[in-house]
Amino acid sequence: MKILVSIDDTDTMKMDGIEVRGTGELAGLIKQAIEEYGWGSCEPITRHQLLIHPGIPYTSHNSSMCFEAEIEQAFLEPLIDFASDFLANESTPDSDPGLCVAVTDRISRPGWLIAFGYMAKNYVLNKQEAYDLAEKLGIHLSEHGGTGQGVIGALAGAGLRLSGNDGRFKGKLKIKAENSIIKAGDICSQVKVDMVKCLEEGIVLQYDDMVVLGDHIKPVWLYGKSVLLVHAINEDTVTQAHWQTYSKRQLKDF
Amino acid sequence: MWSISDKGEREFTGGKEDWAVVAHIAENCSGFKPDDEDEMVADEAVSCYNCRYRRWTRKSFACCIKKM
Repeated sequence: MKILVSIDDTDTMKMDGIEVRGTGELAGLIKQAIEEYGWGSCEPITRHQLLIHPGIPYTSHNSSMCFEAEIEQAFLEPLIDFASDFLANESTPDSDPGLCVAVTDRISRPGWLIAFGYMAKNYVLNKQEAYDLAEKLGIHLSEHGGTGQGVIGALAGAGLRLSGNDGRFKGKLKIKAENSIIKAGDICSQVKVDMVKCLEEGIVLQYDDMVVLGDHIKPVWLYGKSVLLVHAINEDTVTQAHWQTYSKRQLKDF
Repeated sequence: MWSISDKGEREFTGGKEDWAVVAHIAENCSGFKPDDEDEMVADEAVSCYNCRYRRWTRKSFACCIKKM
């Protein structure tokens, strides 16, 4: 069965000389454990930006991390127990970690979860609202230290991942290409990218369309797919490259 | 360039799109440390917007270096 695993608020501001693992790194370790224990296979992690507001006690950027996994039903409870213990032990002492695990086929009203995710991008929500919704929808939601405020972001992260239209993927892709120029189709063959698209012109690139790779190749989560965004550039007469991948600055709003 | 917020934080007055200025500030800042790659938003490697000690606010960011 398919599940969504989402976590939030596991770290605090990093201090000199002390290595603090961010929420993304902890999500990566949970994902790695699921695969190492043989509980199932996991999809890449997405980062979801939530509301920046003085009334929200975030660390520095208020984002949550989520991934999808395909597991056998028998491993659901062991997975939740493992992730709960892991967050309790590995999160920074002053943080407020939250864990959400949702079995996608069992969510009675998926639209409500998605709506909660978008609400968390625009409004200040509270823990009780998150717990009430999780109970109604049959979703596991738990806190593992501090104030437990991270349950709000954890539930929101699951909703935004489920929406198929929010966030950017954790990490950056490594693509082999001569002189950093490659066909769009070869990008999709080499790495986990379903589509190369220019949003400004509404064009999905064809297999032979040539793309200039920037130094920060990171897909976003759109249409329920891993989408590599590009923008138009003046066509190179030699390479016929007419597109270039988004830079960090261009990706910041995703 | 900086204001003091209600919480006593030093907040940058230039907002979230003043790329050249925050790159210049970070280049001359001994406290700059790069944040996780996933949290970087500026194309300039050294930039307050990419610093692990910046805390985003609604309109800009607060520099937490002096508080720590």
